[in-house]
Order: sequence, then structure tokens, then C-alpha cells
Amino acid sequence: MIIRLLSAALAAGFLAAIVVTGLELTLTSPLIVAAERYENHQTHQADRGLPIVVAHAGHDHAAPDSAPEWQPGEGLPRMAFTALATLVGAVGYALLLGAAILACGREPTRQIGVAFAIAGFASVALAPGLGLPPELPGSEAAPLATRQAWWVMTAAATGMGLYLITIRRSLIAILGGLVLIVAPHVAGAPQAPEAASELPAALAAQFAARSLAISFVFWMLIGLGFGWAWQAFARGTARGTVHA
Amino acid sequence: MTTSILAATGTRAGERPVAVALAAFLGLGLLFMAGFSPAIALHNAAHDFRHTQNFPCH
Repeated sequence: MIIRLLSAALAAGFLAAIVVTGLELTLTSPLIVAAERYENHQTHQADRGLPIVVAHAGHDHAAPDSAPEWQPGEGLPRMAFTALATLVGAVGYALLLGAAILACGREPTRQIGVAFAIAGFASVALAPGLGLPPELPGSEAAPLATRQAWWVMTAAATGMGLYLITIRRSLIAILGGLVLIVAPHVAGAPQAPEAASELPAALAAQFAARSLAISFVFWMLIGLGFGWAWQAFARGTARGTVHA
Repeated sequence: MTTSILAATGTRAGERPVAVALAAFLGLGLLFMAGFSPAIALHNAAHDFRHTQNFPCH
């Protein structure tokens, strides 16, 4: 079962990553690159606004710009790393999907895969997106660690809530599930400081819509792919046993 | 139904919790790497994926 679960997750991850990488490169990456132009523009303006005082020029041990951090080159290398990250993320989500299906005692089929994928999409894309909308580089935002913590807690609470409501289904479980789903939003996501960004609102709105749509396709493919691969590997194993 | 499928594929029922735990551990590890790792190089490599999949970034 371990081999079958890992193989099905790998297959589903590959399938989803191939399609979604194509969608990312055509739909969202161009918007990110466009937003980075505004981001850099803002940074340059901020630099110019500050009077440059070279007080300790003689014994400056580590200039902050002395060692620029590694980043993939523009164009093809950047696309390749986006594809790689998408593959790693897709296999990761597929493994979690498979683990959730088996932990709930369900037999993975395409239908079950899609049902759990809808829950996955709601947990990691819709629910965190309500508080922290998908954002472009250069948007104002609260500190990263706070946002990551809220994101993880919201995703976990929504997933657990959906499990209580759809699988446990007792009155107390349903009430508890609703509380879990609503609580992160009542507590509220970390808020960005009020500041004007030069980023056009239309660009940000388009990005948020495309990001959610791509997440939906991503999850549907992972769910369908996992159910299909799980069944396909069973047939393969059964045939192998007969021939052996 | 579960029994017949388990019998057909020759797996033991006790394997399920191990499979679930292993897949959850591996899955969370991969997601941490792609979506949350604070290492600058990993952040830069996965930058566009993180933004598109709505992982908190920057």
C-alpha cells in the first residue's frame, strides 16, 4: 500500500504540475513580472528620497549589497524553477490528499479524489484567500511570519472543520466544524499597514482571480489524477500477480 | 469491499496507518520546501509558484 500511495501521488503530482505550470507561465507569471517593475520603481524612488550619509565609509565590514542572494536568471531559468516548484508542491499536495483519503477509510477513486480535492481547494486556497487575498509583489502586507502562521492555522482549521461536517456528521461535530471554519475569520487575518501602493488595482484583481482559478484546476487534476492512478496501479499489480 | 481489494493486491491492513503517516510526513515536508521555507534561495526559486498558489510571500 505504501508503494501504491507514493506512486499514485507522484503520478497525480506530475499530471497536475504539467498542466498548471503551463497555466502559471501564461496567466500569472507575466503579471508578476509586470508588478515587479512597479516594485523596483518604488524602491528606487525611496532610495532617491533619502540623503546618503557615508559616515562609516572607512570601516564598513559588511555592506548589505555586497553578496546578492542567489536567484534564478530571467527567462528560461526562472520558468524552469517555477515548473520545479510547482512539481514539488503538486506531489506534496497529492501525498496529503492520498493520506487524507486513506485516513478517512475511503477507497480512492476518481469521484472520491475529486471530492477530497474540493475540500483541499477550500482549505488551502479559498479559506486563507478570504483573509489574505492572493497578492502580487510590491503590495503592502503584514509581517511574513504572522501571515504564514495565520495561513497554516486557517488551512488546518478549515480542513478539520470540513472533515467533521462531511464525514463525522453528528450534530456536535457539525457545530464544532462550523466553529472551526468560521473562527479564523472572526479572529481576523493579519492586516497590512495602510499605505498607498503604485500597483494598479486592476492588475491585482486580475491576479487574484487567475490565482484562484489556477488553484482550482490544480486541485481538480490532483484529485482526478490520484483516483485514476490509484486504480491503475491496482490493475497493474493484479496483472503482475497473475503473470507471475 | 475493502477486504477483497486488500486481498487482491496482497497488502496487509496494518500497513494503512504507516502509509498514511509516511505520506503525510513527506507531503508536509515537500510543501514546506516549496511554500514556506525561509531560505532566500528556495524563496527565490519558488517565487512565482508561491505567489500564484497564494502562499504568503515576502
